[in-house]
Amino acid sequence: MSGLLLAPAVQAQMVASSQLSEWPLARVILWIIGTFAIFFGVLTITRKNPVGAVMSLVATFFCLAATYAMLFAHFLAAVQVLVYAGAIMVLFIFVVMVLNRDETDAVSLRGVVLKGLVGVPAIFYLVLKLGWYLFHTARVLHPEDPPASFGTVEEVGKILFTDYLFGFEAVSVLLLIAVIAAVVVARTHKHAGTTPGSQPPTPSPASGPGGHH
Amino acid sequence: MIPIQDFLMLAAALFAVGSLGVILRRNALIVLMSIELQLNAANLTLVAFGRAYHDSHAHAFAFLVMAVAAAEAAVGLAIVVGIFRNKKSVNVDELTLMKH
Repeated sequence: MSGLLLAPAVQAQMVASSQLSEWPLARVILWIIGTFAIFFGVLTITRKNPVGAVMSLVATFFCLAATYAMLFAHFLAAVQVLVYAGAIMVLFIFVVMVLNRDETDAVSLRGVVLKGLVGVPAIFYLVLKLGWYLFHTARVLHPEDPPASFGTVEEVGKILFTDYLFGFEAVSVLLLIAVIAAVVVARTHKHAGTTPGSQPPTPSPASGPGGHH
Repeated sequence: MIPIQDFLMLAAALFAVGSLGVILRRNALIVLMSIELQLNAANLTLVAFGRAYHDSHAHAFAFLVMAVAAAEAAVGLAIVVGIFRNKKSVNVDELTLMKH
């Protein structure tokens, strides 16, 4: 491999190492936000109380929205807050209220030794391979700031309604199907006769995301 | 200028946290939340590459991923509610109806 190294490649490596060592303010801020995102993500999967988990996940989504804004994806940052931290997490909260059941054992460690024997080498290999590729590519492809129209509603909308028009329409049909499916699955079957002592009807969770799209 | 690798490492860490949640937790609600975390990590990767290539197509794709995630959350939570009605439990270890 060393025989194939050409001058541009060496230059790219040098640029890469210099960019790795410098810590501008934006990078420091990114890692502060990123640390918060990972911290709240860990809180999400360790809380016994589902409400605490939902709140931690909302905090993670806000951190991710800040990260999107740092990547000049302003429209996506707004959608992240509206759709994820707003609509989807409200839906989760509704279902937590409906279920309202305490957990007995949160984490199952049954058969963890066998899974670990298979999983740990696989993860080790994956991390090594990914790390190798991550650190042997050029750090920044376009170091300069993107044009002012990058990531705005106008530009993303243009792309959505031209190049991705079929995908957009397909997703809208998918959301319609999801709303109908959620109502069908979650409603109480009064006339089915399978459950004689049927519970009082609970509000369907389907109206949450359906109303927001 | 922030190297793209920083964003990719952050996304990988979040995806790992989400995977751990899916594998280790028994509450179906927490499992669904962990899946949302994984989808967000994938979205962060898309947006980071969109920034690196100055290409807004990644944003459109991430937007579609969000819409699909919303549909998935609606159907998944409806199934959780339906299962809770029948079995009085949301523990994924006890759901062995389709095992045989």
